[in-house]
Amino acid sequence: MYEILTVAKKEFMDNWRNKWIIAVSSIFMILTLVISYFGSLRSSGWQDLEATIGGMMSLVQLLVPIIALMLGYAAISGERERGSLMLMLSYPVTRLEVLIGKFLGLGAVLAVAESIGFGVAGGVIALNVTGVQWGDYLVFILSSILLGLVFIAVALLFSSIFKKRSTSLGGAIMLWFLFSMIWGIILSGIIIARYGFEVFTDPDWVGPTWYYAASIINPISAFSVLVSLNVTPVQTNVIRMPSFYTTPLMLLILLAWIVGSLLLAHVILNRQDL
Amino acid sequence: MISIKNLRKEYGTVTAVDGISFEVKRGEVFALLGPNGAGKTTTIKAILGLIQYEGDIFIDGMNARENEKRIKKMIGYLPEKVAFYDNLTALQTLQFYAELKGIHDADLPALLKEVNLERDANRKVGGFSKGMVQRLGLAQSLLGTPELLILDEPTTGLDALGAFEVRTKIRELSEQGNTILLSSHILSEVQELSHRVAILNKGSIVAIDTVENLSKKLDVQPKLRIELEHVSDEMVQQVSALDGVRDVTVEGNVIEAICPPNAKLSIIKTLEEAGGTVVDFKTVEPSLEEIFIKVVKDHV
Repeated sequence: MYEILTVAKKEFMDNWRNKWIIAVSSIFMILTLVISYFGSLRSSGWQDLEATIGGMMSLVQLLVPIIALMLGYAAISGERERGSLMLMLSYPVTRLEVLIGKFLGLGAVLAVAESIGFGVAGGVIALNVTGVQWGDYLVFILSSILLGLVFIAVALLFSSIFKKRSTSLGGAIMLWFLFSMIWGIILSGIIIARYGFEVFTDPDWVGPTWYYAASIINPISAFSVLVSLNVTPVQTNVIRMPSFYTTPLMLLILLAWIVGSLLLAHVILNRQDL
Repeated sequence: MISIKNLRKEYGTVTAVDGISFEVKRGEVFALLGPNGAGKTTTIKAILGLIQYEGDIFIDGMNARENEKRIKKMIGYLPEKVAFYDNLTALQTLQFYAELKGIHDADLPALLKEVNLERDANRKVGGFSKGMVQRLGLAQSLLGTPELLILDEPTTGLDALGAFEVRTKIRELSEQGNTILLSSHILSEVQELSHRVAILNKGSIVAIDTVENLSKKLDVQPKLRIELEHVSDEMVQQVSALDGVRDVTVEGNVIEAICPPNAKLSIIKTLEEAGGTVVDFKTVEPSLEEIFIKVVKDHV
Protein backbone atom coordinates (compact mmCIF):
# COMPACT_ATOMS: atom_id res chain seq x y z
CA MET A 1 0.00 0.00 0.00
CA TYR A 2 2.83 2.44 0.83
CA GLU A 3 4.16 1.95 -2.69
CA ILE A 4 0.85 3.19 -4.13
CA LEU A 5 0.81 6.14 -1.75
CA THR A 6 4.43 6.99 -2.56
CA VAL A 7 3.68 7.12 -6.30
CA ALA A 8 0.43 9.05 -5.66
CA LYS A 9 2.22 11.54 -3.41
CA LYS A 10 4.89 12.14 -6.02
CA GLU A 11 2.33 12.79 -8.75
CA PHE A 12 0.45 15.19 -6.51
CA MET A 13 3.56 17.02 -5.33
CA ASP A 14 4.90 17.33 -8.89
CA ASN A 15 1.71 19.12 -9.91
CA TRP A 16 1.74 21.18 -6.76
CA ARG A 17 5.33 22.30 -7.36
CA ASN A 18 4.82 23.09 -11.05
CA LYS A 19 1.74 25.20 -10.19
CA TRP A 20 -0.67 23.01 -12.21
CA ILE A 21 -3.13 22.90 -9.33
CA ILE A 22 -3.14 26.68 -8.93
CA ALA A 23 -3.46 27.22 -12.69
CA VAL A 24 -6.35 24.78 -13.10
CA SER A 25 -8.11 26.03 -9.94
CA SER A 26 -7.86 29.58 -11.27
CA ILE A 27 -9.30 28.55 -14.66
CA PHE A 28 -12.28 26.86 -13.01
CA MET A 29 -12.83 29.77 -10.63
CA ILE A 30 -12.60 32.54 -13.23
CA LEU A 31 -14.81 30.76 -15.77
CA THR A 32 -17.43 29.98 -13.12
CA LEU A 33 -17.50 33.61 -12.01
CA VAL A 34 -17.69 34.81 -15.62
CA ILE A 35 -20.58 32.41 -16.31
CA SER A 36 -22.39 33.55 -13.19
CA TYR A 37 -21.94 37.27 -13.84
CA PHE A 38 -22.26 37.42 -17.62
CA GLY A 39 -23.98 34.11 -18.35
CA SER A 40 -27.59 35.21 -18.55
CA LEU A 41 -29.11 37.12 -21.42
CA ARG A 42 -32.30 37.73 -19.44
CA SER A 43 -30.80 39.67 -16.56
CA SER A 44 -27.57 41.44 -15.68
CA GLY A 45 -25.19 40.85 -12.76
CA TRP A 46 -24.78 37.79 -10.56
CA GLN A 47 -26.96 34.76 -11.33
CA ASP A 48 -27.84 32.54 -8.40
CA LEU A 49 -25.90 29.32 -7.88
CA GLU A 50 -28.64 27.18 -9.44
CA ALA A 51 -28.61 29.15 -12.67
CA THR A 52 -24.84 29.13 -12.65
CA ILE A 53 -24.75 25.32 -12.47
CA GLY A 54 -26.86 25.16 -15.64
CA GLY A 55 -24.38 27.40 -17.39
CA MET A 56 -21.41 25.47 -16.05
CA MET A 57 -22.54 22.14 -17.49
CA SER A 58 -21.12 22.90 -20.96
CA LEU A 59 -17.94 24.26 -19.41
CA VAL A 60 -17.36 21.12 -17.35
CA GLN A 61 -18.25 18.74 -20.19
CA LEU A 62 -15.71 20.45 -22.41
CA LEU A 63 -12.98 21.48 -20.01
CA VAL A 64 -12.76 18.75 -17.35
CA PRO A 65 -12.10 15.89 -19.84
CA ILE A 66 -9.39 17.81 -21.67
CA ILE A 67 -7.67 18.91 -18.46
CA ALA A 68 -7.77 15.32 -17.16
CA LEU A 69 -6.34 14.00 -20.44
CA MET A 70 -3.58 16.63 -20.35
CA LEU A 71 -2.74 15.65 -16.79
CA GLY A 72 -2.46 11.95 -17.51
CA TYR A 73 -1.43 11.39 -21.13
CA ALA A 74 2.30 11.31 -20.38
CA ALA A 75 2.12 9.72 -16.94
CA ILE A 76 3.38 6.36 -18.22
CA SER A 77 4.63 7.05 -21.76
CA GLY A 78 6.60 10.12 -20.64
CA GLU A 79 8.34 8.16 -17.92
CA ARG A 80 9.01 5.28 -20.30
CA GLU A 81 10.45 7.64 -22.92
CA ARG A 82 12.68 9.31 -20.34
CA GLY A 83 13.78 6.00 -18.83
CA SER A 84 12.57 6.69 -15.29
CA LEU A 85 9.80 4.06 -15.50
CA MET A 86 12.42 1.33 -15.80
CA LEU A 87 14.20 2.55 -12.69
CA MET A 88 10.92 2.88 -10.78
CA LEU A 89 9.91 -0.67 -11.70
CA SER A 90 13.28 -2.02 -10.60
CA TYR A 91 12.06 -1.13 -7.07
CA PRO A 92 9.65 -3.33 -5.12
CA VAL A 93 6.58 -1.88 -6.80
CA THR A 94 4.35 -3.64 -9.34
CA ARG A 95 3.04 -2.14 -12.55
CA LEU A 96 -0.50 -2.22 -11.14
CA GLU A 97 0.64 -0.30 -8.06
CA VAL A 98 2.30 2.31 -10.28
CA LEU A 99 -0.91 2.68 -12.30
CA ILE A 100 -3.14 2.97 -9.24
CA GLY A 101 -0.69 5.36 -7.56
CA LYS A 102 -0.61 7.59 -10.60
CA PHE A 103 -4.40 7.46 -10.89
CA LEU A 104 -4.88 8.43 -7.26
CA GLY A 105 -2.23 11.17 -7.38
CA LEU A 106 -3.52 12.75 -10.58
CA GLY A 107 -7.10 12.25 -9.42
CA ALA A 108 -6.28 14.14 -6.25
CA VAL A 109 -4.75 16.95 -8.31
CA LEU A 110 -7.94 17.35 -10.34
CA ALA A 111 -10.21 16.90 -7.31
CA VAL A 112 -8.35 19.58 -5.34
CA ALA A 113 -8.27 21.94 -8.34
CA GLU A 114 -12.01 21.52 -8.99
CA SER A 115 -12.87 21.83 -5.31
CA ILE A 116 -10.83 25.02 -4.90
CA GLY A 117 -11.89 26.55 -8.23
CA PHE A 118 -15.59 25.79 -7.98
CA GLY A 119 -15.62 26.18 -4.19
CA VAL A 120 -14.10 29.67 -4.13
CA ALA A 121 -16.29 30.75 -7.07
CA GLY A 122 -19.36 29.32 -5.30
CA GLY A 123 -18.43 31.27 -2.17
CA VAL A 124 -18.10 34.52 -4.12
CA ILE A 125 -21.45 33.93 -5.85
CA ALA A 126 -23.11 33.06 -2.53
CA LEU A 127 -21.98 36.40 -1.11
CA ASN A 128 -23.82 38.19 -3.88
CA VAL A 129 -27.05 36.20 -4.14
CA THR A 130 -29.67 34.80 -1.77
CA GLY A 131 -31.12 31.29 -1.28
CA VAL A 132 -28.04 29.28 -2.14
CA GLN A 133 -28.64 25.53 -2.68
CA TRP A 134 -25.31 24.21 -1.43
CA GLY A 135 -26.44 20.57 -1.72
CA ASP A 136 -27.01 20.83 -5.46
CA TYR A 137 -23.72 22.63 -5.92
CA LEU A 138 -21.86 19.93 -3.98
CA VAL A 139 -23.43 17.15 -6.06
CA PHE A 140 -22.40 19.04 -9.18
CA ILE A 141 -18.80 19.40 -7.98
CA LEU A 142 -18.57 15.72 -6.99
CA SER A 143 -20.02 14.64 -10.35
CA SER A 144 -17.47 16.84 -12.12
CA ILE A 145 -14.67 15.23 -10.11
CA LEU A 146 -15.99 11.79 -11.10
CA LEU A 147 -15.98 12.83 -14.75
CA GLY A 148 -12.37 13.99 -14.32
CA LEU A 149 -11.39 10.66 -12.77
CA VAL A 150 -12.86 8.82 -15.78
CA PHE A 151 -10.70 10.78 -18.17
CA ILE A 152 -7.59 10.42 -16.02
CA ALA A 153 -8.08 6.63 -16.13
CA VAL A 154 -8.58 6.81 -19.90
CA ALA A 155 -5.45 8.99 -20.22
CA LEU A 156 -3.47 6.38 -18.28
CA LEU A 157 -4.78 3.70 -20.65
CA PHE A 158 -3.55 5.68 -23.67
CA SER A 159 -0.30 6.38 -21.89
CA SER A 160 0.18 2.63 -21.38
CA ILE A 161 -0.75 1.68 -24.94
CA PHE A 162 1.54 4.14 -26.68
CA LYS A 163 5.26 4.21 -26.08
CA LYS A 164 5.76 7.87 -26.95
CA ARG A 165 4.30 10.97 -25.35
CA SER A 166 3.37 12.41 -28.73
CA THR A 167 1.26 9.41 -29.74
CA SER A 168 -0.37 9.27 -26.29
CA LEU A 169 -1.27 12.94 -26.68
CA GLY A 170 -2.64 12.30 -30.17
CA GLY A 171 -4.73 9.40 -28.89
CA ALA A 172 -6.04 11.41 -25.95
CA ILE A 173 -7.08 14.32 -28.18
CA MET A 174 -8.80 11.94 -30.61
CA LEU A 175 -10.74 10.40 -27.73
CA TRP A 176 -11.76 13.79 -26.38
CA PHE A 177 -12.89 14.77 -29.87
CA LEU A 178 -14.84 11.51 -30.19
CA PHE A 179 -16.73 11.91 -26.94
CA SER A 180 -17.15 15.69 -27.04
CA MET A 181 -18.22 16.01 -30.67
CA ILE A 182 -18.34 12.91 -32.84
CA TRP A 183 -20.33 10.53 -30.62
CA GLY A 184 -23.43 12.72 -30.48
CA ILE A 185 -23.21 13.57 -34.18
CA ILE A 186 -23.01 9.87 -35.17
CA LEU A 187 -26.01 8.90 -33.02
CA SER A 188 -28.02 11.89 -34.21
CA GLY A 189 -27.07 11.08 -37.80
CA ILE A 190 -28.40 7.54 -37.46
CA ILE A 191 -31.63 8.82 -35.92
CA ILE A 192 -32.11 11.41 -38.70
CA ALA A 193 -31.37 8.81 -41.38
CA ARG A 194 -33.94 6.46 -39.90
CA TYR A 195 -36.67 8.72 -38.52
CA GLY A 196 -36.12 12.05 -40.23
CA PHE A 197 -35.03 15.42 -38.91
CA GLU A 198 -38.48 16.29 -37.54
CA VAL A 199 -38.12 14.00 -34.51
CA PHE A 200 -35.76 16.49 -32.89
CA THR A 201 -38.40 19.20 -33.01
CA ASP A 202 -41.15 16.93 -31.70
CA PRO A 203 -41.26 17.17 -27.90
CA ASP A 204 -43.37 14.01 -27.65
CA TRP A 205 -41.03 11.82 -29.71
CA VAL A 206 -39.52 8.92 -27.82
CA GLY A 207 -36.37 7.48 -29.35
CA PRO A 208 -35.48 3.80 -29.56
CA THR A 209 -33.86 2.21 -26.49
CA TRP A 210 -30.56 1.58 -28.29
CA TYR A 211 -30.22 5.32 -28.90
CA TYR A 212 -30.49 6.13 -25.20
CA ALA A 213 -28.27 3.20 -24.27
CA ALA A 214 -25.59 4.17 -26.79
CA SER A 215 -25.71 7.79 -25.63
CA ILE A 216 -24.73 7.00 -22.08
CA ILE A 217 -21.80 4.78 -23.09
CA ASN A 218 -20.15 8.15 -23.65
CA PRO A 219 -18.95 9.13 -20.15
CA ILE A 220 -19.64 12.81 -20.83
CA SER A 221 -23.29 11.98 -21.51
CA ALA A 222 -23.42 9.72 -18.44
CA PHE A 223 -22.10 12.66 -16.39
CA SER A 224 -24.67 14.97 -17.93
CA VAL A 225 -27.52 12.56 -17.11
CA LEU A 226 -26.15 12.04 -13.60
CA VAL A 227 -26.21 15.78 -12.93
CA SER A 228 -29.65 16.15 -14.55
CA LEU A 229 -31.05 13.43 -12.31
CA ASN A 230 -29.67 14.90 -9.12
CA VAL A 231 -29.34 18.65 -9.45
CA THR A 232 -32.65 20.51 -9.34
CA PRO A 233 -31.79 23.45 -11.63
CA VAL A 234 -30.51 21.18 -14.39
CA GLN A 235 -33.50 18.83 -14.15
CA THR A 236 -35.75 21.55 -15.49
CA ASN A 237 -33.74 21.64 -18.70
CA VAL A 238 -34.23 17.96 -19.41
CA ILE A 239 -37.11 17.26 -21.72
CA ARG A 240 -37.33 13.48 -21.68
CA MET A 241 -35.27 10.62 -20.29
CA PRO A 242 -36.01 6.88 -20.45
CA SER A 243 -36.88 5.12 -17.21
CA PHE A 244 -33.61 3.15 -17.11
CA TYR A 245 -31.63 6.39 -16.77
CA THR A 246 -31.02 6.19 -13.05
CA THR A 247 -28.37 7.53 -10.71
CA PRO A 248 -26.97 4.06 -9.86
CA LEU A 249 -26.66 3.20 -13.56
CA MET A 250 -24.86 6.45 -14.35
CA LEU A 251 -22.50 5.94 -11.42
CA LEU A 252 -21.95 2.36 -12.55
CA ILE A 253 -21.10 3.49 -16.09
CA LEU A 254 -18.63 6.10 -14.86
CA LEU A 255 -17.04 3.66 -12.41
CA ALA A 256 -16.88 0.99 -15.14
CA TRP A 257 -14.94 3.43 -17.30
CA ILE A 258 -12.46 4.01 -14.48
CA VAL A 259 -12.00 0.36 -13.49
CA GLY A 260 -12.10 -0.92 -17.08
CA SER A 261 -9.51 1.60 -18.29
CA LEU A 262 -7.15 0.89 -15.40
CA LEU A 263 -7.48 -2.90 -15.78
CA LEU A 264 -6.90 -2.73 -19.53
CA ALA A 265 -3.92 -0.41 -18.95
CA HIS A 266 -2.56 -2.95 -16.47
CA VAL A 267 -2.94 -5.88 -18.89
CA ILE A 268 -1.20 -3.90 -21.64
CA LEU A 269 1.57 -2.58 -19.40
CA ASN A 270 2.20 -6.01 -17.92
CA ARG A 271 2.88 -7.48 -21.34
CA GLN A 272 5.36 -4.81 -22.31
CA ASP A 273 9.11 -5.11 -22.10
CA LEU A 274 10.89 -2.09 -20.72
CA MET B 1 23.33 -15.51 -4.95
CA ILE B 2 22.20 -15.45 -8.58
CA SER B 3 21.45 -18.58 -10.56
CA ILE B 4 20.39 -18.23 -14.17
CA LYS B 5 19.21 -21.27 -16.09
CA ASN B 6 18.57 -21.35 -19.82
CA LEU B 7 17.66 -17.68 -20.03
CA ARG B 8 16.30 -16.87 -23.44
CA LYS B 9 14.82 -13.66 -24.82
CA GLU B 10 13.67 -12.83 -28.32
CA TYR B 11 12.66 -9.43 -29.63
CA GLY B 12 10.68 -10.23 -32.75
CA THR B 13 13.00 -12.24 -34.93
CA VAL B 14 16.12 -11.19 -33.04
CA THR B 15 17.43 -13.48 -30.32
CA ALA B 16 18.89 -11.13 -27.72
CA VAL B 17 19.81 -13.87 -25.22
CA ASP B 18 20.10 -17.44 -26.38
CA GLY B 19 19.68 -19.88 -23.51
CA ILE B 20 22.47 -18.73 -21.21
CA SER B 21 23.18 -20.17 -17.75
CA PHE B 22 25.54 -18.90 -15.06
CA GLU B 23 25.84 -18.41 -11.34
CA VAL B 24 27.11 -15.51 -9.26
CA LYS B 25 28.42 -16.33 -5.81
CA ARG B 26 27.75 -14.25 -2.70
CA GLY B 27 30.40 -11.58 -2.17
CA GLU B 28 31.67 -11.86 -5.72
CA VAL B 29 32.06 -9.17 -8.35
CA PHE B 30 30.86 -10.84 -11.52
CA ALA B 31 31.12 -9.07 -14.84
CA LEU B 32 29.12 -9.48 -18.00
CA LEU B 33 31.44 -8.43 -20.77
CA GLY B 34 30.57 -8.06 -24.39
CA PRO B 35 30.11 -5.67 -27.27
CA ASN B 36 26.91 -3.64 -27.67
CA GLY B 37 24.02 -5.97 -28.46
CA ALA B 38 25.68 -8.98 -26.81
CA GLY B 39 22.76 -9.45 -24.40
CA LYS B 40 24.18 -7.92 -21.21
CA THR B 41 21.41 -5.41 -20.54
CA THR B 42 18.72 -7.90 -21.57
CA THR B 43 20.08 -10.35 -18.98
CA ILE B 44 20.00 -7.65 -16.30
CA LYS B 45 16.47 -6.58 -17.26
CA ALA B 46 15.33 -10.20 -16.97
CA ILE B 47 16.81 -10.46 -13.46
CA LEU B 48 14.89 -7.31 -12.49
CA GLY B 49 11.63 -8.54 -14.02
CA LEU B 50 11.53 -5.67 -16.49
CA ILE B 51 11.04 -7.97 -19.48
CA GLN B 52 9.28 -11.25 -20.21
CA TYR B 53 11.70 -14.16 -20.68
CA GLU B 54 12.02 -17.91 -21.00
CA GLY B 55 14.08 -19.92 -18.55
CA ASP B 56 14.53 -19.50 -14.81
CA ILE B 57 16.22 -16.97 -12.59
CA PHE B 58 16.83 -17.60 -8.91
CA ILE B 59 18.03 -14.96 -6.47
CA ASP B 60 19.12 -16.27 -3.11
CA GLY B 61 17.24 -19.48 -3.93
CA MET B 62 13.97 -17.68 -4.73
CA ASN B 63 12.37 -17.88 -8.16
CA ALA B 64 12.46 -14.34 -9.55
CA ARG B 65 9.04 -14.62 -11.19
CA GLU B 66 7.28 -15.72 -8.03
CA ASN B 67 9.08 -13.46 -5.55
CA GLU B 68 9.43 -10.27 -7.56
CA LYS B 69 8.86 -7.80 -4.73
CA ARG B 70 10.97 -9.66 -2.17
CA ILE B 71 13.82 -9.94 -4.61
CA LYS B 72 13.66 -6.32 -5.67
CA LYS B 73 13.98 -5.28 -2.03
CA MET B 74 17.34 -7.08 -1.99
CA ILE B 75 18.63 -5.43 -5.14
CA GLY B 76 20.20 -2.06 -5.85
CA TYR B 77 20.21 -1.23 -9.56
CA LEU B 78 22.09 1.36 -11.55
CA PRO B 79 20.75 1.44 -15.13
CA GLU B 80 22.94 2.18 -18.12
CA LYS B 81 21.05 5.41 -18.78
CA VAL B 82 20.07 6.86 -15.45
CA ALA B 83 16.93 8.97 -15.69
CA PHE B 84 15.64 10.94 -12.74
CA TYR B 85 13.02 13.64 -12.42
CA ASP B 86 14.44 17.02 -13.39
CA ASN B 87 12.10 18.88 -11.04
CA LEU B 88 13.29 17.09 -7.91
CA THR B 89 16.38 17.92 -5.88
CA ALA B 90 18.99 15.24 -5.19
CA LEU B 91 17.61 14.80 -1.67
CA GLN B 92 13.98 14.62 -2.85
CA THR B 93 15.03 12.06 -5.46
CA LEU B 94 16.59 9.80 -2.85
CA GLN B 95 13.60 10.37 -0.55
CA PHE B 96 11.23 9.17 -3.27
CA TYR B 97 13.20 6.01 -4.02
CA ALA B 98 13.75 5.30 -0.32
CA GLU B 99 10.00 5.48 0.29
CA LEU B 100 9.39 3.26 -2.73
CA LYS B 101 11.67 0.68 -1.14
CA GLY B 102 9.91 1.05 2.20
CA ILE B 103 12.97 2.60 3.87
CA HIS B 104 11.95 5.28 6.31
CA ASP B 105 15.12 5.72 8.36
CA ALA B 106 17.75 6.12 5.66
CA ASP B 107 20.51 8.65 6.32
CA LEU B 108 20.17 10.32 2.94
CA PRO B 109 22.64 13.19 3.52
CA ALA B 110 25.27 10.58 4.46
CA LEU B 111 24.49 8.66 1.27
CA LEU B 112 24.90 11.82 -0.77
CA LYS B 113 28.22 12.43 0.98
CA GLU B 114 29.36 8.96 -0.01
CA VAL B 115 29.06 9.94 -3.66
CA ASN B 116 30.39 13.48 -3.15
CA LEU B 117 27.06 15.18 -3.71
CA GLU B 118 26.48 16.56 -0.21
CA ARG B 119 26.84 20.15 -1.41
CA ASP B 120 24.28 19.56 -4.15
CA ALA B 121 21.63 17.96 -1.94
CA ASN B 122 19.13 20.76 -2.51
CA ARG B 123 19.90 21.40 -6.16
CA LYS B 124 17.47 20.20 -8.80
CA VAL B 125 18.66 17.14 -10.71
CA GLY B 126 17.75 18.84 -14.01
CA GLY B 127 20.82 21.05 -13.56
CA PHE B 128 23.22 18.17 -12.85
CA SER B 129 26.07 17.12 -15.13
CA LYS B 130 26.09 13.56 -16.47
CA GLY B 131 28.72 12.59 -13.92
CA MET B 132 26.65 13.96 -11.05
CA VAL B 133 23.55 12.12 -12.30
CA GLN B 134 25.58 8.91 -12.49
CA ARG B 135 26.85 9.40 -8.94
CA LEU B 136 23.29 10.09 -7.74
CA GLY B 137 22.31 6.91 -9.59
CA LEU B 138 24.94 5.03 -7.65
CA ALA B 139 23.61 6.56 -4.42
CA GLN B 140 20.04 5.43 -5.15
CA SER B 141 21.31 1.93 -5.92
CA LEU B 142 22.86 1.84 -2.43
CA LEU B 143 19.61 2.70 -0.63
CA GLY B 144 18.92 0.21 2.11
CA THR B 145 22.36 -1.40 1.74
CA PRO B 146 21.20 -4.01 -0.80
CA GLU B 147 22.58 -7.54 -0.73
CA LEU B 148 23.00 -7.51 -4.49
CA LEU B 149 24.14 -4.59 -6.62
CA ILE B 150 23.47 -4.64 -10.34
CA LEU B 151 25.44 -2.02 -12.23
CA ASP B 152 24.79 -1.73 -15.95
CA GLU B 153 27.66 0.02 -17.73
CA PRO B 154 28.35 2.17 -14.65
CA THR B 155 30.98 4.41 -16.25
CA THR B 156 29.53 4.85 -19.72
CA GLY B 157 29.55 8.45 -20.83
CA LEU B 158 31.56 9.69 -17.89
CA ASP B 159 34.75 11.70 -18.20
CA ALA B 160 37.98 10.20 -16.88
CA LEU B 161 37.57 11.67 -13.39
CA GLY B 162 33.92 10.64 -13.14
CA ALA B 163 34.73 7.10 -14.27
CA PHE B 164 37.59 6.92 -11.77
CA GLU B 165 35.30 8.02 -8.93
CA VAL B 166 32.65 5.44 -9.83
CA ARG B 167 35.26 2.66 -10.16
CA THR B 168 36.74 3.62 -6.78
CA LYS B 169 33.30 3.40 -5.20
CA ILE B 170 32.65 -0.02 -6.77
CA ARG B 171 36.00 -1.26 -5.45
CA GLU B 172 35.09 -0.03 -1.97
CA LEU B 173 31.74 -1.82 -2.13
CA SER B 174 33.46 -4.98 -3.26
CA GLU B 175 35.91 -4.76 -0.38
CA GLN B 176 32.94 -4.45 1.98
CA GLY B 177 31.75 -7.84 0.76
CA ASN B 178 28.88 -6.77 -1.51
CA THR B 179 27.78 -9.05 -4.32
CA ILE B 180 28.02 -7.08 -7.53
CA LEU B 181 26.83 -7.97 -11.01
CA LEU B 182 28.55 -5.61 -13.36
CA SER B 183 27.98 -5.15 -17.07
CA SER B 184 30.52 -3.41 -19.20
CA HIS B 185 32.07 -3.26 -22.61
CA ILE B 186 35.17 -1.60 -21.17
CA LEU B 187 37.70 -4.38 -20.83
CA SER B 188 40.11 -2.62 -18.50
CA GLU B 189 37.26 -1.81 -16.14
CA VAL B 190 36.14 -5.42 -15.95
CA GLN B 191 39.71 -6.61 -15.51
CA GLU B 192 40.27 -4.13 -12.70
CA LEU B 193 37.03 -4.71 -10.80
CA SER B 194 35.75 -8.23 -11.29
CA HIS B 195 36.53 -11.57 -9.74
CA ARG B 196 34.94 -13.55 -12.55
CA VAL B 197 33.75 -12.65 -16.00
CA ALA B 198 31.27 -14.04 -18.51
CA ILE B 199 32.02 -13.04 -22.05
CA LEU B 200 28.86 -12.64 -24.08
CA ASN B 201 28.62 -12.43 -27.82
CA LYS B 202 25.43 -12.39 -29.85
CA GLY B 203 23.34 -13.57 -26.92
CA SER B 204 25.53 -16.50 -25.90
CA ILE B 205 28.16 -16.96 -23.22
CA VAL B 206 31.38 -17.78 -25.05
CA ALA B 207 33.59 -17.98 -21.97
CA ILE B 208 33.16 -17.78 -18.23
CA ASP B 209 35.89 -17.82 -15.57
CA THR B 210 38.40 -15.61 -13.77
CA VAL B 211 40.51 -13.42 -16.02
CA GLU B 212 43.58 -15.43 -14.98
CA ASN B 213 42.00 -18.80 -15.76
CA LEU B 214 40.61 -17.57 -19.04
CA SER B 215 44.08 -16.53 -20.19
CA LYS B 216 45.45 -19.93 -19.21
CA LYS B 217 42.66 -21.87 -20.88
CA LEU B 218 42.81 -19.87 -24.04
CA ASP B 219 46.58 -19.97 -24.11
CA VAL B 220 46.85 -16.21 -24.20
CA GLN B 221 50.51 -15.77 -23.31
CA PRO B 222 52.19 -12.96 -21.43
CA LYS B 223 54.23 -10.36 -23.26
CA LEU B 224 57.91 -9.81 -22.46
CA ARG B 225 59.04 -6.20 -22.66
CA ILE B 226 62.82 -5.65 -22.78
CA GLU B 227 64.57 -2.30 -22.86
CA LEU B 228 68.06 -2.38 -24.39
CA GLU B 229 70.84 0.14 -24.90
CA HIS B 230 70.39 -0.35 -28.63
CA VAL B 231 68.41 -2.68 -30.90
CA SER B 232 69.72 -4.25 -34.11
CA ASP B 233 67.94 -6.19 -36.91
CA GLU B 234 70.04 -9.24 -36.04
CA MET B 235 68.69 -9.27 -32.47
CA VAL B 236 65.09 -9.12 -33.74
CA GLN B 237 65.71 -11.93 -36.25
CA GLN B 238 67.33 -14.20 -33.67
CA VAL B 239 64.59 -13.62 -31.07
CA SER B 240 61.88 -14.21 -33.68
CA ALA B 241 63.51 -17.54 -34.58
CA LEU B 242 63.22 -18.87 -31.02
CA ASP B 243 60.70 -21.66 -30.31
CA GLY B 244 57.29 -20.39 -29.07
CA VAL B 245 58.15 -16.73 -29.57
CA ARG B 246 55.81 -14.67 -31.76
CA ASP B 247 54.65 -11.14 -32.51
CA VAL B 248 58.06 -9.52 -31.97
CA THR B 249 57.81 -5.74 -32.21
CA VAL B 250 60.36 -2.94 -31.83
CA GLU B 251 59.75 0.59 -30.65
CA GLY B 252 62.87 2.67 -30.11
CA ASN B 253 65.16 0.65 -27.84
CA VAL B 254 62.34 -1.59 -26.62
CA ILE B 255 61.60 -5.08 -27.93
CA GLU B 256 58.30 -6.73 -27.12
CA ALA B 257 57.48 -10.37 -27.78
CA ILE B 258 54.75 -12.80 -26.84
CA CYS B 259 56.23 -15.96 -25.40
CA PRO B 260 55.59 -18.87 -23.06
CA PRO B 261 57.01 -18.29 -19.52
CA ASN B 262 59.89 -20.76 -20.05
CA ALA B 263 61.18 -18.81 -23.06
CA LYS B 264 61.90 -15.59 -21.18
CA LEU B 265 65.46 -16.48 -20.20
CA SER B 266 66.26 -17.74 -23.70
CA ILE B 267 65.17 -14.43 -25.18
CA ILE B 268 67.37 -12.41 -22.82
CA LYS B 269 70.31 -14.74 -23.41
CA THR B 270 69.86 -14.52 -27.18
CA LEU B 271 69.78 -10.75 -27.07
CA GLU B 272 72.98 -10.59 -25.02
CA GLU B 273 74.72 -13.05 -27.36
CA ALA B 274 73.73 -10.83 -30.27
CA GLY B 275 75.51 -7.91 -28.61
CA GLY B 276 72.63 -6.34 -26.75
CA THR B 277 72.79 -4.84 -23.24
CA VAL B 278 69.61 -5.26 -21.26
CA VAL B 279 68.67 -2.11 -19.33
CA ASP B 280 65.35 -3.30 -17.96
CA PHE B 281 62.71 -5.96 -18.59
CA LYS B 282 59.26 -6.89 -17.38
CA THR B 283 56.46 -9.31 -18.08
CA VAL B 284 53.14 -7.84 -19.10
CA GLU B 285 50.32 -10.25 -18.20
CA PRO B 286 47.72 -10.81 -20.92
CA SER B 287 44.96 -8.26 -20.85
CA LEU B 288 41.29 -9.02 -20.95
CA GLU B 289 41.26 -7.31 -24.29
CA GLU B 290 43.45 -10.03 -25.75
CA ILE B 291 41.31 -12.72 -24.17
CA PHE B 292 38.16 -11.05 -25.38
CA ILE B 293 39.37 -10.69 -28.96
CA LYS B 294 40.55 -14.28 -29.05
CA VAL B 295 37.31 -15.64 -27.59
CA VAL B 296 35.06 -13.62 -29.85
CA LYS B 297 37.16 -14.48 -32.92
CA ASP B 298 37.02 -18.17 -32.05
CA HIS B 299 33.26 -17.91 -31.50
CA VAL B 300 32.70 -16.30 -34.88
